[in-house]
Amino acid sequence: MFLTLAGIRKRFGAVTALDGVSLAVDEGEFVCFLGPSGCGKTTLLRIIAGLETPDEATITLDGRDLMRVPARLRNFGIVFQSYSLFPNLTVARNIAYGLACRGWDADATRTRVEAMLDLVNLRDYAERRPHQLSGGQQQRVALARALAPQPRVLLLDEPLSALDAKVREDLRTEIKSLQSKLRVTTVMVTHDQHEAMELADRIVVMNRGAIEQVGPPRELYDRPANRFVADFLGRMNAWPDRDGRPVLGVRPEHVELVAAADAADGANGVIRGTIERVVFLGSVTRVVVRAGERPCIVELKGSRLDLAAGQPVALRAPGEALLRLEKPAA
Amino acid sequence: MSAAAAARSRPGEPAFDSDRALLALLLAGVAVPLLVFVVWPLAEILKLSFDTPKGLGLGNYAVYFATPKFARVLVNSLEVAVCATLITTVLAYGFAYAMQRCLPRGRRVLGAIALLPLYAPSLLQALGILFLLGRNGAIARIFGVDIDIYGFTGIVVADVFYAFPHAYLILSAALAIGDARLYESAEMLGAGRARIFRTVTLPATRYGLMSAVFVVFTIVITDFGNPMVIGGDYSVLATEIYNQVSGQGNMAMGAVIGVVLLVPAAIAVFVERWVARHHHAALGDRSDPLRVVPSPARDRVALAYSALICGAIALIVLVVVVASFVTLWPYNLSMSLRHYHFEVQNGLAPLWTSIGVSLAAAVLGVVVVIVGAAVVRRLGPVLTQALYFLSVLPAAVPGMVLGLGYILAFNRPDNPLGFLYGSLAILVICNVYHYHAQGFLIATTAMSQVSRVFDEASTCLGGGLARTLRTVTLPLVAPALVSIGVFFFVRSMVTLSAVIFIVTPATQLAAVSVLLLDDSGNQNQAAAYSVCIMAVVAVALIALEATLALVRRRGGMRAPQLAAA
Repeated sequence: MFLTLAGIRKRFGAVTALDGVSLAVDEGEFVCFLGPSGCGKTTLLRIIAGLETPDEATITLDGRDLMRVPARLRNFGIVFQSYSLFPNLTVARNIAYGLACRGWDADATRTRVEAMLDLVNLRDYAERRPHQLSGGQQQRVALARALAPQPRVLLLDEPLSALDAKVREDLRTEIKSLQSKLRVTTVMVTHDQHEAMELADRIVVMNRGAIEQVGPPRELYDRPANRFVADFLGRMNAWPDRDGRPVLGVRPEHVELVAAADAADGANGVIRGTIERVVFLGSVTRVVVRAGERPCIVELKGSRLDLAAGQPVALRAPGEALLRLEKPAA
Repeated sequence: MSAAAAARSRPGEPAFDSDRALLALLLAGVAVPLLVFVVWPLAEILKLSFDTPKGLGLGNYAVYFATPKFARVLVNSLEVAVCATLITTVLAYGFAYAMQRCLPRGRRVLGAIALLPLYAPSLLQALGILFLLGRNGAIARIFGVDIDIYGFTGIVVADVFYAFPHAYLILSAALAIGDARLYESAEMLGAGRARIFRTVTLPATRYGLMSAVFVVFTIVITDFGNPMVIGGDYSVLATEIYNQVSGQGNMAMGAVIGVVLLVPAAIAVFVERWVARHHHAALGDRSDPLRVVPSPARDRVALAYSALICGAIALIVLVVVVASFVTLWPYNLSMSLRHYHFEVQNGLAPLWTSIGVSLAAAVLGVVVVIVGAAVVRRLGPVLTQALYFLSVLPAAVPGMVLGLGYILAFNRPDNPLGFLYGSLAILVICNVYHYHAQGFLIATTAMSQVSRVFDEASTCLGGGLARTLRTVTLPLVAPALVSIGVFFFVRSMVTLSAVIFIVTPATQLAAVSVLLLDDSGNQNQAAAYSVCIMAVVAVALIALEATLALVRRRGGMRAPQLAAA
């Protein structure tokens, strides 16, 4: 393993931010820390960067103990959520900053800065000041600045959160293509499940200072280990099992809607209910059905003009779509 | 200084890191001089005040409080301070309200005039009041009445003017921020103007009000120049220290009175600091900024009130300027430059000495406080607290006490730094550490405007402390550096209290010359000398404004850019 974290603990006063987190990241891998605010994901990233001192931790990079290396000497690139370009320096000098710290000569620096500007498509902006750029452009420069000194690991701390929805999507694509081109080991923090699912090779779902589940996006979606993961990635309809403790779940898109009249009474796996709400979301229509105590969410392709609130319906979930959910670890 | 490294290091971290070593070095560079030039002189005063023929004890204090004259001096000081504090705070609150919550015509000019007393030697108010109301003043001359302004009344009036700008600045800051939502809801609920003031404005500014009260109290109780000039036989603690030390050579009693003065001043300063911190926490960042709408009647009252105050402030300065340019105020008002031929030790040379000392204090002061602010930013919480305390401690030390402490600590052969005594260098150092707290607070405020993300970004890119400061932090706070430099320059030009004890005939300073001229009955020449000081200060302020305007035009460093997070 390239980057390994073991037994990371961090308390802020009475609050436990991280409660013994362990993780291993492969070289060239793109890993996302996903979780609600306050789950410890940013603290974990900052500990990896060396910006925060953990109470207990073992961190190694390529077998070398990182705890003995100050942030300045770790050679990790970082992009922050808030705009962090030095406001008094031009774009070119911002990108050259890390190179100057490493004592690159003028020629090599110029070549590298130009290459980085090309990489993020900002060649004409070299002499601009940060405040003359849009938010998206500033984050692209920040990315170029972080990548310029050829870091061992790229750390992204919610780099897209401050941007508008459209810009965010464009930059997401750009980050993905950059990362696959450069194959730089990348760790990103986000609270946006779509961001994590699009970008990550593996997602680390965190909750209350601990890891709930680690795996490729598809695996986490299809086989969530527990309710927390199931709810955080996509939506999940959940019912208590007969024994009470574990629960059964099914994704809204796997639930089938059958006309109430067609459902044979007492047929296996069919539940009767009434439509409570129909929400048209463009590519899908979300139907909330009241069946028993809890509402069940059903997502159907396209627009469904034939459905309306108050209508009686029957639901069916195919057996292979049913998931057994454990209680969250934390 | 391995304590610095130890406090931050954890098992498994490297034993030596060049950046950490630099931080420890800078910490030592900031803390050791504070210990030597603030704590040590204070310790010497305390030691001497407890030093009796029978060993350490309270004997000196027993003598002090048993002597009716000394007990009276303490009461005098408190009387003056309480009176002047109440009057100043009320007047300044009204003025700040007129400036921030009303729209009188010429608001900017009025606000600028209110600051005039900051830029004049501290005894100028007393001098001006004597020219107007004194035995040989304009009023006595024109109306033929004999007003007795010397003593309690004179000191209070002079100190009200002297402390006014400080109170105004604090209250103005408190009144500048207001939550529009509170006012709107109060109005919607049908509250009248008086009720809104009582239930919204006053509570929202209570911390500013408390801050102003304690700051003014400290300024008044430690003031030396005005009571010297206008106090007559009415002695206060600050003048009594001078009397004991310079007049009677009684260092021990000087030290005792110094401690008696130090206690209320220190209490006031630390309460004020506590209040100020509390105040910051009480500020919500979600509140809507208050917008002042014109209201003709209210704005006319505000104009009348603030014009009255500014008129009085300007009159005092003006009368000093006029008196310096006429043959004999108030008897012969024909133009004359005769008062500018100074009959005082070394003539005009002290003015040049003052300029040199003030320039040096400006440069040294900027370096000292900015390094202090940069170090505080990087330290762990415990060391930050300690260094912060050391850095603001000088605010609690009255100038007279600091000056006396310098005599006790440095005017003796066994001190390896004794060579400093009697030099210009010690005047520079004394000024830097006398005003260290205020300079340090401006510096930390400016630094706190620079988002920590910049430090972290620089660190992750491989930038060390020195590079981060040089390339990022310092350029971003450059305008504040200029302001801090001018602050130290101006204070050093006008201050009297600390340096009065450590000047020598060869290192005479301008403000001291003013006092000597006044003392020898040469009020007109004292006025002329004050005018020279104010002229130098005016040049410095104009230079500051010009520099800041230039920075603003060139930089493109707008405030929002500084505060990225």
